[in-house]
Amino acid sequence: MKLCRILLLPAVLSLAACVSNSPTTGGGVSYGDSKAVETVTTDLGSTDIQMTAEKMTQSMLQTPLLQDIIRRRGLLMASPVANKTSEYFDTKLITDTILTQLQKNGVRYVIAGDEMQNQTDELIRQNQSGLYKKSTTARVGNMHGAQYRIDGSVSSIIKRDSRTKDVYYKINMRLIEIESGIVEWSDEKEIRKTLNR
Amino acid sequence: MKRMAAILVFGVACLSVCLPASAAEGGSIASKVEELGKMDYLRVTDMRAVRRDNLLRVQFTVTNSSPGNERLHYRFRWLDADGFTVWEEEPWKPEIIYGKQNKVINVVAPTFKAADFKLELQSPHNSTSSERTGVADNPPYR
Repeated sequence: MKLCRILLLPAVLSLAACVSNSPTTGGGVSYGDSKAVETVTTDLGSTDIQMTAEKMTQSMLQTPLLQDIIRRRGLLMASPVANKTSEYFDTKLITDTILTQLQKNGVRYVIAGDEMQNQTDELIRQNQSGLYKKSTTARVGNMHGAQYRIDGSVSSIIKRDSRTKDVYYKINMRLIEIESGIVEWSDEKEIRKTLNR
Repeated sequence: MKRMAAILVFGVACLSVCLPASAAEGGSIASKVEELGKMDYLRVTDMRAVRRDNLLRVQFTVTNSSPGNERLHYRFRWLDADGFTVWEEEPWKPEIIYGKQNKVINVVAPTFKAADFKLELQSPHNSTSSERTGVADNPPYR
C-alpha cells in the first residue's frame, strides 16, 4: 500500500504540472524581443545591424537609379562587406537584410560569393549525374550577371580609460555599376556606444 | 473688401504654419503617436508627412523640457490606406535628446506601399516606470 502511494505521488505531481495552460515547456530560458535595443556590450550588436540595414535600404530606395533598376528589372548583387574592426561579426548580416528588404520592394538580385558553391553544385548535379530527364534540367550557361553590386565596410575607433570605453563605428555602403566601376550611390551610418564602469 | 481679403489670406497662412500636424497624412499628432506610458519630459511638438518619389517621408520634432539629457526609443509602424501593416516590425531605435533640445528626426518609409503610419515612442522616464507603479516594466531595451 505504501509502495503504491510512493509510486502514485510523482504521477500526481506530473499531472499537476500538466494542468498549467501556458504553452511552454522547460524553464530558465525565455524569449526576448528581437527588435529591442540591445545594450549588453559595446560590440556591434543586433540593434546596430538592424538600424544600419534599415537606414541603407531607405536611403537606397530614395535614389532615382534604384527606382529605375526596379522598373527595368535590373539585377543587383552584394559583395562581402569588409570588416575593418578588431571584433568578429558576420558582415553578411547587413547585406542579407538589405537585399531582403530591397527585394520586398521589387529589386531582383543574384547570388554571389560563398552561395555560388551551392548553385554550381546543383547545376553540375543536374547536368552531369545522368539522373535527370534532359527536358527538366536547368541548363548550364544561363545564369544572369548583375549590373550593380552593393559593397561596403565597417570601421571602428575605440577609446578607453580606466572608467570609460567609447566605441565609434562607421558603416559605409556603396552601390557600384559593375561594368564602369562608377559609384552610383553611397551612404554611411555612424554609431557611438559608450560604457561607463 | 480688399482689407478683408488680406486678413483672410493672412489668417489662412497663419493656420497652415500653426498646424504642422495637418501635413501628417490624415490627422493630428496625437492620432499618429503611441506612447508606451506618458513621457515625463519628451513631447512630439511637430510632425509632417509628405509623399515624394513614391515614398512616404515623415519628419517629427521631439522637444525635451528637462534640463538633463533624456533617452528616447522610437519606431514606426507602416500602414496602407486601409490601416493594415505593410512592413515587418521595425527595430526600436535609441536616440539621445539633450536638455532643452528640439530634435528633428527624418524617416523615409521602407516600402512604396506605405500610405500611413503610427509612431511608437518610449522614454525611460514615463508614467508606467516601475519605481512609480511598482510593476516591473518592460522597456524596449536590453
